[in-house]
Amino acid sequence: MHSIIKSSTLACALILLVAAGCSGPANDSFPNRDIEIVIPYAAGGGFDTYVRALAPHMEKYLEGDFNILPINVPGAGGRRGASEVYRANPDGYTIGIFNLPGVLLPQLQGVKVNYDLADVSWLSTLSIDAYAVIVKGDSTINSIQDFKTLGRPVVYGATGPSSTSYIATTIVSEALEIPYEVITGYKGSSEYILGVIRGDVDATFANLSTVQSYIESGDVKMVALIGDESDDPAIYDASDLGIPELGNIKVVRMVGGPPGLPDEIKKTLEQAILSALADPEFKTWLEATGNDVYPAGASATAQSVGELSAFYDKFKEFVE
Amino acid sequence: MFDLLLNAIQDIAHVQTLLFLLLGVIFGLIFGVIPGLGGTTALAILMPLTFGMTAIDAFAMSGGIMGAVAMGGAISAILLNTPGTAPNAATTLDGFPLAKQGRAAEAIGAAATASPLGGMFGVITLLMVLPVAKELILLFGPPEFFLLAVFGLVTISLSDSSNLLRGLIAAGVGLMLAFVGYDTVTGGERFTYASDYLFDGIPLVPALVGLFGVTEMIHLSITGGTVAGDAGKVRLHGVMKGVRATFKNWKVVIRGSLIGTIIGAVPGVGGTVATFIAYSTTKRSDPHPETFGTGRIEGVIAPESANNAKDSGALLPTLAFGIPGSAEMAVFLGILVLHGMQPGPMMLLNNEREIYALIIALTLSAIFSAIIGLALVRWLAMITLVRGQLLAPLVIAVSLVGTYAIDSRPGDVVIAALLGMLGYLMLRFNYPRLPLVIALVLGETAERGFLQSMMIGHDDWGIFIATPTSIIMVILILITLGWSFIPGLLKRFKNR
Repeated sequence: MHSIIKSSTLACALILLVAAGCSGPANDSFPNRDIEIVIPYAAGGGFDTYVRALAPHMEKYLEGDFNILPINVPGAGGRRGASEVYRANPDGYTIGIFNLPGVLLPQLQGVKVNYDLADVSWLSTLSIDAYAVIVKGDSTINSIQDFKTLGRPVVYGATGPSSTSYIATTIVSEALEIPYEVITGYKGSSEYILGVIRGDVDATFANLSTVQSYIESGDVKMVALIGDESDDPAIYDASDLGIPELGNIKVVRMVGGPPGLPDEIKKTLEQAILSALADPEFKTWLEATGNDVYPAGASATAQSVGELSAFYDKFKEFVE
Repeated sequence: MFDLLLNAIQDIAHVQTLLFLLLGVIFGLIFGVIPGLGGTTALAILMPLTFGMTAIDAFAMSGGIMGAVAMGGAISAILLNTPGTAPNAATTLDGFPLAKQGRAAEAIGAAATASPLGGMFGVITLLMVLPVAKELILLFGPPEFFLLAVFGLVTISLSDSSNLLRGLIAAGVGLMLAFVGYDTVTGGERFTYASDYLFDGIPLVPALVGLFGVTEMIHLSITGGTVAGDAGKVRLHGVMKGVRATFKNWKVVIRGSLIGTIIGAVPGVGGTVATFIAYSTTKRSDPHPETFGTGRIEGVIAPESANNAKDSGALLPTLAFGIPGSAEMAVFLGILVLHGMQPGPMMLLNNEREIYALIIALTLSAIFSAIIGLALVRWLAMITLVRGQLLAPLVIAVSLVGTYAIDSRPGDVVIAALLGMLGYLMLRFNYPRLPLVIALVLGETAERGFLQSMMIGHDDWGIFIATPTSIIMVILILITLGWSFIPGLLKRFKNR
């Protein structure tokens, strides 16, 4: 039954346990009490379940008397979760998921944030999600190049103007000199995908993992792939389009801890995450659900944070 | 389809699976009763527990929860004037007056009968329309969302003709609160004062806990006494009367269930609006609409039959396109993924078996929870005999802890407390609270639908009558308006 307690805050509040009741006694080796992974989304979302599926496998590769507790800290477009991890004690018992460029853009847009990504103790990369540019399944548009010859601006659907999907849309369209309009306000990726199917909009930038089953069912078709290499010669990727730099446009999920995490703890956690990502049982789950991994260690992750920051800084004019 | 249903019944009909279903029902009832907590929280808490289960057991438990919260929530709505979950808000309107008259048992009996009937009606409708689910969902785009929200707003504003102006003022305040936060269309932040908490807007559940739970307890503390007033007149035996009344009003049940199924299928609008429209439609078609709000049993039957029917409606977009029709469905999709399934348009083909198991579980759960509810009525109704001094602190504490437990945000508790005080003022000065709640739910949908339609149609208003669906909705809105105003105008004309 210990897994009920996993939703620790909730369980604590409910059973009216004292807050301290959730953590165990202290001793010297790490870990000796529960590790919290902060998920900056509500329970039930695509990435929430990814972390929940991964957590038990991480437990296998760490020694000690502890559990790994995924905690949902949704709100403020992911900034609330990021701030919570950033100001936690750097003892390895609070780490969190960061979605880039999601938590990076507010900094560039001049929104006041309570964290600095350059100081986060990066542990690893979990996954990279490319953007599929999609149109309706029976559309006459077959390639992203056709967007230019419509005789009118192409109409995209996206969530809010500071969202990652909107920024991906504007940067790619501006770079390729495609005339465009964006209908904003869709509540999430499945809603703007539905907008394409219904014909509210011509096209949209959707994460490949989300849109895959819609492509399979024939409701939509992919006309370009941004952020990954395309194997299909008919579907152009950033290099085919002549601007390889645009390959930086993708959603990267990383794990990080508060600034100043001791090297030893950092190493232990990094190893556990990387081993869990390679775990055969986890791989089976990934395949069944159409999810993917992109394992990269601490230093590689810190490096890509730097690269992504530089890329978006360069295209700052479209970000605001 | 029948062999699929039979297979699903076989899947569920194992002792272990049924026990998980029952566990879900009990959990759902408890979470339904406690204001603030609801099906979403219950599912989120039990989600890690489903890890070690088979997929069918996990769905049986989820179905148990989703089918039972409505019943639990109705109990607190009737006994304490505090909707246990958001969609129970409409039940307070006549349920609580019944409790005050000492007829709580009768009201709970009616709710416990209307719930499973509505649930079954919803399931049957769902099974019938499942083959055309995709086409149905595609009928609703931004213009239709806008019109539906307007329809909801028109219905609430006009629902109480004796109090029209106050209702409009309350709805106006609700709209103002609805516009706080990040605006996903323009990307601006409104009235957030640079607070990360307000960025996400005023959340519905803490607002409800405040406006109903906290308000009612403040009221009870100030007036003193008990909910039912005089202990002598409380009847604990009216249960069967409530059951009979429900069957007698079968038309109300069918109308409520139909409204629940249809509106439940619209993402973002959902249960709270569905139950309210079921209530006000029933009120309007009654020969004595003015007696509603004083303790009419139909005022409990209509929203509670809509309440369980809406779960089937909410499954429609979930199954057709993987779009959660409600917050509970969003968590349920997470449970699907944990069990190695992929939500999306292929689900109906790939996971047929699990989906039918969920549908059966939902139906069984509505029946089980009704039986448990009926069995406990006598003891539950005694709550109305507890003195306010004892009841109020307890209910306020449990509600506020429940509010905090949703997302561990202190701001939620502050919202509940502030709106509790506002609610008390509204009660004291005779302003209806439900229009505020419905406007809070619909404000964002209305605004987004309008702005998106204008962008898509390049500022051409013709987009609002461009499809058959939108024309039907415009006509519905006009009929609702006409129904309320024309009789009054005619009367004035005759008097001249």
